[in-house]
Amino acid sequence: MLILSRKRGESIVIDGRILVKVAWLDGDLVKLGIEAPSTAPVHRQEVYVEIQSFNQEAMTDTKVRLPRLTASTVALPISKGGHPSAESLTSRRV
Amino acid sequence: MNTLELIEPETRALNGKNIIRFPYGLLGFERVKNYVLLSRRHEEPFSWLQMLDEARHAFLVVSPFLVLGEYEPRITEEDVKFLELTVPTDALLVNIVTLRGNGRATINLKGPVVINRLTMVGKQIIPDNATQYSLNHPLPVT
Repeated sequence: MLILSRKRGESIVIDGRILVKVAWLDGDLVKLGIEAPSTAPVHRQEVYVEIQSFNQEAMTDTKVRLPRLTASTVALPISKGGHPSAESLTSRRV
Repeated sequence: MNTLELIEPETRALNGKNIIRFPYGLLGFERVKNYVLLSRRHEEPFSWLQMLDEARHAFLVVSPFLVLGEYEPRITEEDVKFLELTVPTDALLVNIVTLRGNGRATINLKGPVVINRLTMVGKQIIPDNATQYSLNHPLPVT
C-alpha cells in the first residue's frame, strides 16, 4: 500500500480524475473530501463490504419454497410517500 | 413495466422491455449487468430479481413498505442524477430478502435496489441514512 503524508487542506489526485482532500482533522477522526466522476462510485468500505457479503448470501434459486408474510404485515399499505411498490407499478399480463 | 407471470423461468419467452440494466451490477456481482423482475402469483408479495443469463440465480425481493411503513432511505443526489429520477414515482424500490431456514427470513434495509421504471435502469444504492437501517431486519413470516 502506498502511504503518503498530507496536511490539513492538502489533496491527492488518483488517475487524473479523482481528488481526495484532507478536509478536517480532529484527534483520530479525519474528514475526507472526495471529488470523483459518477463512473467511480465512492462508498465507506465497511458498509460496502457488508452489503456485498449480504448479497452473496442472499443469492438463491427461484425454485425454493417461499415463506408467507404474516397477515398483519400484508395488511399495511402497499405504497407510501410516493414510493410505489412493485405490485402497484407492474401491470400483469393475463 | 411488465413483470412476467411465469410458468417456469427456464421456459419463459423474454421480452426485451422487461430487462433491467444495472450498469454497476449489484454489490458483489458487479459483472452481472442485466436482470429481469419476475412475479409469480402464488409467491406474492415477493418478486425475483433474476440474472438474465443465469436463469437459476436470483435475488428474492419485496417492497420494504410492507415491512416498515415509515421506511425512508435518503437517495444521494449523485444517485438521483445517475438514475435520472425526476419525480419519486419514477422509482421502484425493492429490497433483497435472505431466507434463513426454519421459516426465518430477513430483509436488507441498508442497501435498497432502486429502479427507474421509465428507463429500466437500476442501481443498488447506499442511502445517506444507511446507518440507521439494518442489514438483517427480521421479516415476519410464517
